[in-house]
Amino acid sequence: MATLVETVDLKKTYMLGKVPVEAVRGVSMKVEAGDFVSILGPSGSGKSTMLNLIGALDKPTSGKLLIDGVDISKLNDNQLTDLRRRIGFVFQFFNLIPRLTARDNVELPMAIADVSRAQRRKRAVELLENVGLKDRVNHKPAELSGGQQQRVAIARALANDPKFLLLDEPTGNIDSKTASEIVSLLKRLNVENHVSIIMVTHDEHLAREANRTLQMFDGQFISEAVNQQ
Amino acid sequence: MKTYDIFGYSFSAIKLRKLRAALTTLGVIIGIGAIVALLSITQGLQLSITNDLSRGLSSNTLIIVPGSNALGSGVGNGVSGGSGSRPRTGLNLGGSGASSGFRLYVNYTNQIDALSPDITSSLAVIQQSGYVNADGLNSSVTLYGVNFNQYSQLYPTTFVTASGTLPSNPADNEIVVGARVNDPGENGTLLFSAGDNVGIVWTNGTTLPVVNETYTAHVSGVLQKIGGFGLAGPSDTGVYMPLSQAENFFGATQCEMIIVQLKNSNNSTVTDVSKDITNYFGGQVTVISSTAVLSLLSTIFGTIQLFLGGIAAISLLVAGVGIMNIMIVSLIERTREIGILKALGMKSRTVLSIFLGESAIIGLMGAFIGILSGWILANIVARLLASGAFGGTGFKVTPLLTPEVFLGALAFGVAISIIFALYPAWRASKLKPVDALRYE
Repeated sequence: MATLVETVDLKKTYMLGKVPVEAVRGVSMKVEAGDFVSILGPSGSGKSTMLNLIGALDKPTSGKLLIDGVDISKLNDNQLTDLRRRIGFVFQFFNLIPRLTARDNVELPMAIADVSRAQRRKRAVELLENVGLKDRVNHKPAELSGGQQQRVAIARALANDPKFLLLDEPTGNIDSKTASEIVSLLKRLNVENHVSIIMVTHDEHLAREANRTLQMFDGQFISEAVNQQ
Repeated sequence: MKTYDIFGYSFSAIKLRKLRAALTTLGVIIGIGAIVALLSITQGLQLSITNDLSRGLSSNTLIIVPGSNALGSGVGNGVSGGSGSRPRTGLNLGGSGASSGFRLYVNYTNQIDALSPDITSSLAVIQQSGYVNADGLNSSVTLYGVNFNQYSQLYPTTFVTASGTLPSNPADNEIVVGARVNDPGENGTLLFSAGDNVGIVWTNGTTLPVVNETYTAHVSGVLQKIGGFGLAGPSDTGVYMPLSQAENFFGATQCEMIIVQLKNSNNSTVTDVSKDITNYFGGQVTVISSTAVLSLLSTIFGTIQLFLGGIAAISLLVAGVGIMNIMIVSLIERTREIGILKALGMKSRTVLSIFLGESAIIGLMGAFIGILSGWILANIVARLLASGAFGGTGFKVTPLLTPEVFLGALAFGVAISIIFALYPAWRASKLKPVDALRYE
C-alpha cells in the first residue's frame, strides 16, 4: 500500500505576537492509502496546526513531512498550491462560496485545475448525486441545511479525485442526527469508493468512527487506538 | 484556471454587489465621458475652423498684413471681428502690429506683382467696420473694398451670388452683400433684396469731431450663404464695394491686406515668395500662408486639448481612487473566500487575475458607457452652441469622435481601473491561506 502522509519528528513553532508557541512538538506518524484515520485532541492540543501541515497550507519548522511522497519543506508557494489540488479539504464551517450554486461550488476546484466545462459539469452532478443531493444541484448554500452544505463540501473535496480527504471537525456545526448521516457517508466513501480519510476532531464519539484514532495532547501523539467497528 | 473562467468568476463577484459596482463604474463613466465630450467638441471645432480657413485661404495664396508678427499676437482678439472704427488687420486671425506704424497701400500690388515670377496676381483689400441702413434700420457689417473680378477669381466657390448679379465692371455705387447682411436672423425675413438701394454708413474717426460718412448704394447681388466663422475670404456679414469707391469713400489709399495668388502651392514657392515679400518690406509685414495658419491652429488646439483633456483626466483619477477603495473593501470582505480558493489549489497569480479582472470589467463597462455618454453630451453642447444658448447668434460645430479618441479613451479607462486595482489585487494574492481561512 502506498503511504499518503508520513511525518518524522515533525515540529511547528509559530509566533503569537512575540511569544513562540510550540504547537507541534515532534510528531511521527504514517497514513496508508485506503485508511480512515482520526486525530483526536482538545482545543490547543495542536491538532489544527497538524491539519494545516498535512493540508500543505503551512510549512513545518523542522522534521520531515511527506505528502504523497513529496517533502513539502522544499516546496515554494506555487508548488504547495499544486500539491493542495491532490488533497480534498472539508472544513468545519463548510466554506462554500455563497454566491455560487451547489454545482458551481463543486465545479470550482475543477475549474481551478483547468478541467473543461462540459467534463466538470458532468462530474459535479455525479458527485452531488453520490452524496445524495441530486435535487439540490442548483441551490445556493443559503438555501441548503447545514448537513446538505457539508455534503456539498464533501462533493467539492472529491472533485479532483484527491489522494485523501482532510476533514476539520466535519460535524462540528451540525446537529447530531445529521452528523451521523455525514459519518455514514464518509464510511461509505471509505469502504465503497476507497477514499482515504484523515479527520481532525475534538469529538471522541466521532473520532471512534474512524478505523484508527491518534490521540493528540500538548503537541504530541500520546496514544494510538484501532477502533472496533 | 482558464481566462474565461477567471472572468466568469470575477463577474459573479461584481453581480453580487450591483449597486456598489454601478457606483464605481459611474466614476469611470464620468471621467471618460468628460474626456470624450471635451475632446470631440474641440476636435470638431478645430475641423470646422480648419475647413473654414482652407476655404478662405487656399494653399496657393498668401496674405500680407502690416505688422511684423501679426500672426503671432492675439488670435482671440481677431476672431471676434472688426470692432472699433479702424481694425488694423485684414485677416481676422491676425494680431495688432500697431506699434510699427507701417501701412500697406493699394498701389503696392504693382510692386508685389513684379517681385517674383511665381506670383500670378495680387489684390488689395480695404476693410472697415460700418453699417448698412435699410428702412431706417442700421445693422453692423464689415465693409470691404475689392476688385470684383480678381476677388471672384480668387474665391470662385464663395464669392458667388445667390440672387442678383455679380457685376464684372461695377459702377461706383454698386455693392454685393453677404447672406446675413440682408437676412440677419437667417430666417427669411429680408431687410432688403437685390436691386434695392441701401445706405452705407462709416464712422470717420480720423477727424474731430467724428462724423458719419454715408452714401446710397445699389445692391447688385446677394452672396450665397458661406457659413463658418469667416476667418478669411468672403464673409456672410461683408458688404463688398469696388476698390476705387472704397478709396474715395474712406478717403484713403491704404489697405488692410494684400492677397497674393501664386502659380503653384509648392512648399518651396510659398516659402521663397513669403521671404521675398517680407524682405521687400523690410520685415514690416507678416506674410500669412495657409500652412503657417494651419500649423499655428493645430498648435493652439493641441494645447487646448491637452489642457481640457488633463482636467477631465483628473476626474478619471478620482474614479481610480474610488476603484482602489472599493477593491480594498472587497478584499477585506472576501479574505476567507481567498483562503478557500487557495486551499482548493488556486495559484496566487490567479487570485491576482480575478481581482484585476473585476476592475477591468468595471473599467471596460465604464469606458464604453462613458464614451457613449460623452458623445451624447458633446452633441447636446453642439446643439446649444448652434442655437446661441451661450450668447451670440450661435455657431455650428459638429463634434468629432476620432478612432484615436475612441480607442484612447477605452484604453485609458481600462488602464486606470487596472492600475488602481494592482495594489489590492496584489495584497489579495499574497494572503496566506492559513491566515485567510481563520479570518472571521
